[in-house]
Amino acid sequence: MSRRIVLPVLAAVLLGACVPVQHPAARVEHHDDFGTPVGNTKVAEGGDLVMGLSSEPDKLDPTTSSSLYTRYVMSTICEKLYDLDAGGEIVPQLATELPTIAPDGRTVTIPVRTGITFADGTPFDANAVRTSLDRHLNNPESQRASELGPITAITAPDASHVVIRYGKPFAPITAALADRAGMILSPRALSEEGDNFGDHPVCVGPFTFVERIPQTLIKVARDPEYYDAEDVHLDTITYRIMSDANIRAANLRSGDVQVADTISPQDVDALAKDPDLRVLQSPSLGYQGITINVGNVDGVGKPTRQLDTPLARDPRVRLAFSHAIDRQTLVDTVFNNWFEPACSPIAPQTEYASDASNGCPRFDPKESRRLLAEAGVSIPYHIDMQVANSQDQLRFAQAIQASVAEGGFDLEIIPVEYSTLLDVQKNGTFEALQLGWSGRIDPDGNTTRFLATGKAANYSGFSSSTLDDLLARASQTTDVTQRAVLYGQAVQLLQKENPVVYTYRLRNLTVHATRVTGVEVYTDGVVRLGRAAFVTGED
Amino acid sequence: MLRYTFHRLWQSALTLALASIVVFIGVRALPGDPATAMAGEEADPAAVAAVRAKLGLDESIPVQYLKFLGNAIRGDFGESVRTGTPVRDMIGATLPVTVQLALYAMLVAVLAGMAFGVIAAVFRGRWPEWVANGFSLFALSVPTFWLGILAVLYLAVQLGWFPASGYVSPFSEPLRGLYYLTLPAVILGMTHAAVVQRQTRASMVETLTADFVRTARAKGLSRAAVVFRYGLRNSLIVVTTIVGLQLGGLIAGAVVTERIFGLPGIGKLTLDSVFTRDYPVIQAVVLVITLAYIVINLLVDLLYTVIDPRVRVSGRAQ
Repeated sequence: MSRRIVLPVLAAVLLGACVPVQHPAARVEHHDDFGTPVGNTKVAEGGDLVMGLSSEPDKLDPTTSSSLYTRYVMSTICEKLYDLDAGGEIVPQLATELPTIAPDGRTVTIPVRTGITFADGTPFDANAVRTSLDRHLNNPESQRASELGPITAITAPDASHVVIRYGKPFAPITAALADRAGMILSPRALSEEGDNFGDHPVCVGPFTFVERIPQTLIKVARDPEYYDAEDVHLDTITYRIMSDANIRAANLRSGDVQVADTISPQDVDALAKDPDLRVLQSPSLGYQGITINVGNVDGVGKPTRQLDTPLARDPRVRLAFSHAIDRQTLVDTVFNNWFEPACSPIAPQTEYASDASNGCPRFDPKESRRLLAEAGVSIPYHIDMQVANSQDQLRFAQAIQASVAEGGFDLEIIPVEYSTLLDVQKNGTFEALQLGWSGRIDPDGNTTRFLATGKAANYSGFSSSTLDDLLARASQTTDVTQRAVLYGQAVQLLQKENPVVYTYRLRNLTVHATRVTGVEVYTDGVVRLGRAAFVTGED
Repeated sequence: MLRYTFHRLWQSALTLALASIVVFIGVRALPGDPATAMAGEEADPAAVAAVRAKLGLDESIPVQYLKFLGNAIRGDFGESVRTGTPVRDMIGATLPVTVQLALYAMLVAVLAGMAFGVIAAVFRGRWPEWVANGFSLFALSVPTFWLGILAVLYLAVQLGWFPASGYVSPFSEPLRGLYYLTLPAVILGMTHAAVVQRQTRASMVETLTADFVRTARAKGLSRAAVVFRYGLRNSLIVVTTIVGLQLGGLIAGAVVTERIFGLPGIGKLTLDSVFTRDYPVIQAVVLVITLAYIVINLLVDLLYTVIDPRVRVSGRAQ
């Protein structure tokens, strides 16, 4: 074969191998399935349920924990003041009602349960709640302090009420108490264990901690003292750590584990066809996106300085980039349409979403090229993008690379390992960077920390006084409709400025064996096993 | 001999000290630190700073190193940054798993490798040799991680012959323990079996064509006696060297195998602790593995003197 023929053929083969975009199959609509409570199903009392956990939890201490997967284990041993229900509404768990907020928004009163005990027999009351909240707020290693907001005092006027006082109103508090900041720890265990509480966590919950073998498993056993013990069926739950998605899928099919989280979209279709398995799916509260470094030069937290590149300086270049991403096609092809395109940090299924926050820049490569020309940059415009070296992340990045090429961008992908990527993000040594956020119940947790001037996670180094004002007002307003309007305006500003180019929103994909029932996963992604059971006739 | 042993021990201590410095500086050269890696996507700066101060990461590297060394000499490797478990306990729990896996895999490698090696040497130029050589070519060329995943998919998931993952201690339940370890040990042992097969074959062929073998046959010794008494005995020395060298490779291979089969061994511990920048764990694990290498090498050298009297004689002459 002459070189004239060989080269194009070789080029075609190589290009074909690089571009993962295939023609999407007919779009299948995916419907939420949060799992079903045990209800009237006949279930066995007892049994050991094994869950394949996708990542190892850190210390089982709600105050210092920063791993999402710690929440999965804690959900069975450590109840919170509030919880979510399947509809995404906040409902009381250890509290008895939603908090009462004084008209000035600065005093929050929480009525709490009485007459119940922690797993070590210590009575649960308002004082115990105060002790835990104090620890979440004041422990130097606490990851919860910022979630609790500008608290000035926490008091327990009687056994069944806790009062939190604020310097200025802080709307996200109820949602924060439906997450780790709302977990209440046994005061006795706290005084005995101190900083080592996470080695033997003791809370109120359907299960109690038994043992942990690092990197291997965490085991919990039914707590007979639990206030709602008649609804708890299993004897024990073993969380086995299985970080590889293929391995989790294989273990589900072989029956070695009965529940597994974070199933890859590459595996889920095959698992969905297995009659012995059921796929649970819920939309995520978080987002995936590309952070563009605008002014993070000396590291996050330091004063920002304008980076002198067209991408950092000129919002038109960033807007062009956003127009050049064909979100729907990418999500459909790379993730077999299991995930949804996203253009904003406000999850569309929440009450804070509006038409304004759900709007999305259309895929328009012509517009992209026009904007680039208007900005006076040479086409193709080169961007280095750092990406975590996981399979799904790389595949998506490659698809973006192919998509934005049409809009006039030459995107270079730099794969780095996850911990390195966190470091790069913090130090500001990137041009663009693809990383997601798991999401919080209150939209403030998905916006302010990343976008407001000088905040701890404003990795883009973005600063806009208008946006700062919108986000601050939204966090201080308790009226949901008003907040939705403010977040809508914030999103419209973001879609012009694009310090973060939002790309897609995950669905929490969890699979469980059909011989198990009562496994539930809501929008916070936590796999709730506390009331699960084996269906009768099998163990 | 005493002087030789002393010399070897001194060398080992030096190697260990150098390894500790290299790993200490090496892990700190990686981007990120335990506090950032642990905080993950939630990086509350005050909390990260508090964790750094608690771990002593703000001190200079030489000071950190001396503190680590002082503690390590007393057998205190500190606590895991991520889980708060004492590192000594973590190694105590994971090392036996890897040792069991490595020994089992080596047993598979030696038995299969020598069997195929003998077959290939005895049936030189005929189909059994092609089969044996084909096996070794396959085992050498196919990467362990791929073979491992295939084995899980077909032997565990489709056929259900083996568990897909997990570990049961052979000391508490011997049969179940072996059953859980079999598939990982076979997968891990295969590459090494191939190496053993090649060396056994080469050594056997050399011995079987040697003059003394022809003489032995001429004096009426049976073919089987020649193969097993001379051929195999002579190839043992080669196999012992290989086993010694390969045990190091087995520990490296264990990292992959343990991850695929979810075995709670030291390989998986190493990998996970590197990803989370868990300095105390990485440092201790690398020291333990270095120590294991040194001990294995020492044992192999001593074993030579048992297997091959010639080594003993030359050792005395020195």
